[in-house]
Amino acid sequence: MILVNYLAAAALLSIGLYAVLTRRNMIKMVMGLSLMEAATYLFMISLAYRSGSTAPVLLSPPPGQTEHSLVHGNVADPVLQNFCLTAVVIGVAVTAVFLSVVVRIAQHYRTLDSDRVRELRG
Amino acid sequence: MTIAALSSLLPLPVAIPLAGAVTAPLLARASSRLAVIVSLLAMAGSAAILLIEAPAVFGGRVIAQYLGNWRPAGGHVLGVTFAADPFGLLVALAAALIGAILLLYTLSELGGLGHRELGGYACLFQLLIAAVIGAALTADLFNLFVWFEVAALSSYGLAGFFLERPIALEAAFKVLVLTTLASFSVFVGAGLEYARHGALSFAQLHHALAGHAGPADAIALGLLIAGFATKAGLAPFHGWLADVHTAAPGPVNALFSALMDALGVVAIVRLVFQVYGVHGLPVLGLLMALGLGSALLGGIMALAQDDLKRLLAYDTISQVGIVVIGFATGNSAGVAGGVYHLVNHAAFKALLFLAAGAVLHRTGRTRLSELGGLARRMPVATAAFVLGALSIAGIPPLNGYVSLSLIHSGLQQDHETIPYVLTLAAQVITAAALGRAAWLGFFRPRRGEYEWQERVRPGMLTALVSLGAGCIAFGAFGPEVLRRLMAPAAAGLLHPGRYASAVLAGSGRLPALAVPFDYGSPAELISVGLSVLVAAALAWLYLRIREPLPVRVLRAAHTGSANDYAGYAIAGTLLVIAALRFA
Repeated sequence: MILVNYLAAAALLSIGLYAVLTRRNMIKMVMGLSLMEAATYLFMISLAYRSGSTAPVLLSPPPGQTEHSLVHGNVADPVLQNFCLTAVVIGVAVTAVFLSVVVRIAQHYRTLDSDRVRELRG
Repeated sequence: MTIAALSSLLPLPVAIPLAGAVTAPLLARASSRLAVIVSLLAMAGSAAILLIEAPAVFGGRVIAQYLGNWRPAGGHVLGVTFAADPFGLLVALAAALIGAILLLYTLSELGGLGHRELGGYACLFQLLIAAVIGAALTADLFNLFVWFEVAALSSYGLAGFFLERPIALEAAFKVLVLTTLASFSVFVGAGLEYARHGALSFAQLHHALAGHAGPADAIALGLLIAGFATKAGLAPFHGWLADVHTAAPGPVNALFSALMDALGVVAIVRLVFQVYGVHGLPVLGLLMALGLGSALLGGIMALAQDDLKRLLAYDTISQVGIVVIGFATGNSAGVAGGVYHLVNHAAFKALLFLAAGAVLHRTGRTRLSELGGLARRMPVATAAFVLGALSIAGIPPLNGYVSLSLIHSGLQQDHETIPYVLTLAAQVITAAALGRAAWLGFFRPRRGEYEWQERVRPGMLTALVSLGAGCIAFGAFGPEVLRRLMAPAAAGLLHPGRYASAVLAGSGRLPALAVPFDYGSPAELISVGLSVLVAAALAWLYLRIREPLPVRVLRAAHTGSANDYAGYAIAGTLLVIAALRFA
């Protein structure tokens, strides 16, 4: 079951990386990076999962489980989920900065082709 | 002051600049200069608190503070820990003091900007310095990732600060792509370590890892090193560095080169020495390879540059490489030399970039081919540039001499002949590059007069003089600085067990470490003299020949395309992981 998650994360990462390495359109590069970001979240959430575990919310246990069983064990790891929450917030900010830079580049250079925006080289 | 009081002060050096960053844009509405002045005061406050901590910490104490009062229970650290060891405190102190000097320079050079620009500038500037101080003091892997991201986000803003200059946008795009890739790498690396060991505290990870790191740990360390190497500007992760420096204003160059790179180096060094330990994984060999590659590549690329800021930026890559070489020796002389050179680099590279910034401010030019004859026209900037260049070349009694001799003796102790020769070669090339720049920009006679732009103001001069004085003081009092500051810092890195137990216990002592250093060592003086002669000859030769093949190949590899640079970084990440996993 959980193997599917890892495979999906690997596939997303590869697609995103392919876009970053081969697409010259800057919007597509940003999209590729967003895909890679999503892959890291999926990977982390899958790492947090333990077989048969429930969500790490300790308010009222799901049917068939007591509060005691939740405290002592079978919940998904909340720390890794917190990792993802933090990273999602940062990721939103980074994507916003990214897109605003791309918009300004498009205004100045009248192109989105990263190959035509390389005055700085060598 | 008691240890408990010192420990309770520990979050303040980060909290003060963070508060300053929030208030700066608000104050800028009243007066744009006020925002920078308050930021300057915030930096000074942060430095003052760090100075209060300094006597105890450099006396060999490690002081920890559990944020939110989440104390460790049964050897498990529950919250984020800040721990001041001599190494972290040294870098934090350098960041706060140099940050204050850079803000003074900013006030002088950019004080006339509009309130929105200057408010945003002061905010981002302080965020970046807070991130460097936080990364230096934290003892928590995820917290380190957060400081990495804080530094990254503020660096995007500062890189694209001159929004009306298209090259600033181009540079901002490249740094965004590369740093975002690096952040994924750090994020996944940290997550893997947590998933394996259920711990984020450096102390707990140290106990779980030191000596018996498995294959998954090797992959995680590879990801972490690759991510932080991007921030440090090590080759092949350096694609963004030169471009960003070309486009940004002088104080921002100095901030990036002197302090933001230090964040990457501090993170790598902490992970390698204090978390993973240097035994087990072939990590020192990897650091040596990264350091030598960066030192040589940065030097060669610097030799070929026409833009003064770009030249200095490539030189940063070279100097960070040399710092990493020092750490990669793993012995006390080399590690103390690495710490020493990291601090020295912050001082002399800030000095060089501010001198270049003053030249740009006064003449409106940064191309060496358009400059010349500045020695007569701008004596203070020339003196600052020459002082910085001589420090990098390692001329006694300047600061570079002490740190470079220590790194050399670290390499010789372990009979690492080939790295030693390559290090010397990299230094000669770097010195030649700076000598060429000094000749073309400052001493070469120039016929026509410049169209003078702005004046050089007192704040800029004060900044240049204080950084120059720092370079001289850290050289002239070398043995004293080494004994009081650098040797304790190296002791903390070489005794990771003591650091780990101090983080768990709330405070602890480090053993004293004696690092021998002979100021007048004849062998070292002869090697300095010879390398200066060879460097002068190389610079002279380089001005007369057409570009040699290796330089052309390397320049052609720096295509300026974000796709290519991302490709280099990914290839580098895979190589680093493969080296740790299979070597």
